[in-house]
Parts: sequence; C-alpha cells; structure tokens
Amino acid sequence: MSQAKTSFISLRRILIIARSTVTQLVRMKVFWFLAPIALLFVGLQYFDAFWYEGPEAAQPQQELQMHKNLCLGTMMLFGSLFAIVSTALLIPRDIEDRTLYTILSKPVPRLDYLCGKLLGVLIVIAIAMLVMDILLVTTLHYRTAGVLADMDDFLPRLGWGQDLIDAKKAEIAAHGPSWGLQFGILAHFFKAAIIAAVALLISTFSTSTIFTIATSVLVWIIGALQGIARDAFMDDRTLGETTSIAGRILGTLVSLLFPDFQVFESIAEAAARAQEILVLDVVKVSGLAFFYVAIYTVLSWFAFSDKEF
Amino acid sequence: MSSGLAVEIKNLVKKFKPSFRAKTIRAVDGVSLSISAGEVYGLIGPNGSGKSTTMKALLGLVAPTSGTCAIFGKDSMKVDSRNDVGFLPENPYFYKHLSGAETIRFYGKLCGMRGKELEDRVNEMLALVDLEDARDRRLGGYSKGMLQRIGLAQALVQDPRLVILDEPTAGVDPTGSRQIRDLILKLKERGITVFLCSHLLEQVQEICDQIGIIHHGKMVRQGRLEDLISLEDRTELILDQPSPELLEKIRALIASEEGSKLLSEGHPRTTLESLFLEETQ
Repeated sequence: MSQAKTSFISLRRILIIARSTVTQLVRMKVFWFLAPIALLFVGLQYFDAFWYEGPEAAQPQQELQMHKNLCLGTMMLFGSLFAIVSTALLIPRDIEDRTLYTILSKPVPRLDYLCGKLLGVLIVIAIAMLVMDILLVTTLHYRTAGVLADMDDFLPRLGWGQDLIDAKKAEIAAHGPSWGLQFGILAHFFKAAIIAAVALLISTFSTSTIFTIATSVLVWIIGALQGIARDAFMDDRTLGETTSIAGRILGTLVSLLFPDFQVFESIAEAAARAQEILVLDVVKVSGLAFFYVAIYTVLSWFAFSDKEF
Repeated sequence: MSSGLAVEIKNLVKKFKPSFRAKTIRAVDGVSLSISAGEVYGLIGPNGSGKSTTMKALLGLVAPTSGTCAIFGKDSMKVDSRNDVGFLPENPYFYKHLSGAETIRFYGKLCGMRGKELEDRVNEMLALVDLEDARDRRLGGYSKGMLQRIGLAQALVQDPRLVILDEPTAGVDPTGSRQIRDLILKLKERGITVFLCSHLLEQVQEICDQIGIIHHGKMVRQGRLEDLISLEDRTELILDQPSPELLEKIRALIASEEGSKLLSEGHPRTTLESLFLEETQ
C-alpha cells in the first residue's frame, strides 16, 4: 500500500462513504416518517371540496389542485426538514463517536468524506421523494378518474353539450398525473438538496447539532422569503420610491449569502396548477441547483479542511 | 526528513486557543521522537500531558503550530502518508449499524481494496482478532473488548507498516487486555511498527522496545526500555528450592563484603493479572 498515490478526489471513495451513509440512515429507520405521509396522501382521497354547488360549481379541477398542493407542500416540508436534520446529525455524530478519526486516518481526503456524506443524504431524500411521488401519482390517478366519472354524471345534468363536456374533461385530466407534476417534485428535491448542502456547511464549523438545525431552518426561511422581499423592493422602485444604500447593500448581501428558492417554488406552483413547464426551464433550474450545491460544498470543504479534531 | 524511520517528529509544538480565554494552551511543547521500522514505542504520561495530541498531529487530525511530523518520510499532513498507517483511537465507537465484517470491509474499501483481496482480508482480520463468531453481529451489540479488537482489525486492514494505538486496552477486562497485548506482540513479530500510548505501565513495559515519558507537553525521558529501567548498581538473584543453610551462607557472605548490603529478601510473587488469567481460563 505504501507506494499508492492518493488522488485529490475519488468518485469511488465518495460512493463508498455515500453507501455507508445510506445504510446508516436506513438502519436508523428514517423511512418510518413515510408512514404518516402515506396515510395523509390516502386520507386526502376522502376529503371532498364542495364543488357541486355554489360559485365553484363545474370547477372540479380545484379538487385535484388542492390534492396536489397539499401533497407537494408535504413533500417539500418533509424533504427539507429531513435534509436539515439528517445532515446536521451525521458529521457531529462521527466526531463525537470518533468514527471520523478512523476514517480520516485512512487515505481519505476530507473533500471525499464531505461529498460522500452529502451524496448519501441526497440518495435517501431521493428515495423518500420517489416513494412519496409514487404515492401522489397513484392517489391522484384514482382521484382524477373519480372526478372524471363524477363529471360524466354531473355535467349533462347542467345541460352541457358533449363538446363542452369533453373540453372540461380534458381540462380536468390535465390536473392528473403528468410530466409537469414530476418537474414540480424535482424542484422540491432540488430545494431539499440545497438546504442539505447548507446544513453540511453549517455543521462543519458549528459546535452543536441544535445550532446547525436552527440556523439551517433560518436559512431555509430566508431562502423562501427573499424572493418575495425582492419583489416588494422592485415594486417600490416602480412606484418611484428609492431604497436606501444600506437597504440595497443588505439586499445584495442576503442574495449572495442565502439561496433563493423562489424559482424552485414557481416551478412547483406551476406543476400544482397544471401549467406548462418548459424543459428548458427545468434544465435551468437543475443548473441553478447544481451551482448552489457545488458552492456550499466547496465552502464546506474550505471550513472542514483546516478543522482540528 | 529521513525515510529510514517509521516515525519522525521534530520539535512538535501545538498550541490551542480556548474560546473566550486570552491565554493559549501549549498542549505539546517541543516534542521530538523517532521510531525505527519494526519497533514498538510506548508513549506514557498522565492525563492531559499531550500524548493524544502528539498522535493526532502524526495522523494529520491536528495541524502542528510548529515542527514537523513524518511517517516513513512523508509529511503527515499529506493524505498519502496515511496509506501506511492504521489507527485505533481511545474508546472507539464505530458505526453501530454495521456488523463486524461490514466494518472491516468499509475501511478496506476506503483504502482502495476490493473483490477477493478484500474478502480474504476481512476473513483474515476477523480470525486475527478472534471475532469470526461475531462477524455478522452489529457493533451495537459488541462488548468493549470486542469493539477494541474490531478497531484493531480495521486499523490493520490495509496491512499498514505502522500502527498507532491510543490506549488500546482502556476499559477492557484483563482477558481482553491480554488478547490485545498478544495481538500487539504478533504485530511486532511480523515487523510492523507500533506506536502506542497507555496508562497500563506494566503492559507497556512488557511489549515496548522504546519508551517516551511526556509531562506537561514536554518529553521528559526517552530511550530504550532496558536502559531506562535497569538499576546498574543492584543485582537480583532468584533461587529455586534453596536450603536455609545456603541462605544463611549467602547472607554471611554478603555481610563480610565491604560496601555490599542485602536490601531485601522474600518469595517472588506472581502478578495479579497472571493469577486472574490462571484462574479464569
């Protein structure tokens, strides 16, 4: 072994650490959190909006949109919280148990260790998202079929012609399972991946898990709100009001330090509304997510490379 | 740095600056030591004397404030130097979710091993540390001694030329402690260099070729064990079945010799460890 030259970064070593991280999380029974989500998704099947009467009459797609909104919101919430908690726990636990000593005393560059841990968390999030995705698609499929069957019964009684009924049914079917919906779920996965990378960065210099979790949640909230804040700022300018220099510096700093989740949110919202999502937009969002994850991982490496144990 | 030595530490200084305190702590203060290939070196000292910090600096887990550490001539801050090292930290806790075999396999893979070579090595290591029966049991159910032995197995998985052991028998019962001691002696027979620190001075005395005594971060004594502990001006005789008349003659002879003095006599005793092992095995 003595003559071996250790490469700066190795995909093989990263995959070994990632696999161990996945095994660790799976054997910690983290997937149990999917059980209440499954119950929620299935339970939503039996929750009807009162669209047969009132101003919402003949707008049954709202029923499906509500189903998607609730399911996507749950996926986003659990995905992000899971990303924060699992990432925040892994490195401090390795340090506390001195497992990190034995790993780093092998020919393992610290960048490999960080990338492996992050990749492991992302794989587990992807598996969890996939399970939730399958649940959502299945429940949405049956719900859409149910609504369409109801429409066959309900719309003729309103005196609608067959052309109108077919158009309405096509509109409703568009709210069923679709590629657009998959893009929305992908956007939520990207958000979870970014917040996991943020938690990884914080855990490299934080001395407590609670601090890492609390700070990561704060970054998550700022990331979700900074787009809204920026929109408000833009509105002020359109009204002819000027923002102070301090305000502009603060805004720039926030946008540099914190991820902006608005673009991911807009994809997810479009998916829930069954609006068309261009593949090019998905590619752009994927690139942005990769950029954020890469930046936070490199910053984590800078912080971790000089860390002493 | 000389590459003929397994370990070479030159003027190692490590200072820590505790938070909210102006005064820095000098955990290691100008320590120098060298270990030749195949030697067993024991670093002893009280708690907080700088033993673990010295080991961590050698493994690149802490960066020296000044001075250098090298393993087989390679700067220990470089990842490459760790190809030749196995490390067992004090009170190790490995991934509890992995079994014994999975743990050794994981560390073997990190060292670039794979396929049949890795599987053969996993089996060999489990046999070496006598954990074949527990190979598929998760580490969460291992005893302290078993954890130390699996730790030793992971340290040896890539067949390193140097093994660093931080308190290898801490918290282990006498039987487990003896097994670990025997393993270290096996390593010595195979020509593997061992650098260990321990509080069990009797064990250090039994297995080490060289000793370093560290106190308040400074190396206060260092050298070959026999040179350090032998009392050149005293002689010990152990007689088997001596008659009372013979003993009396010896006493009289000593008394007749000017400058010689009988300091003590009695029956030699076995050690408590030997007695314990005799009764329990």
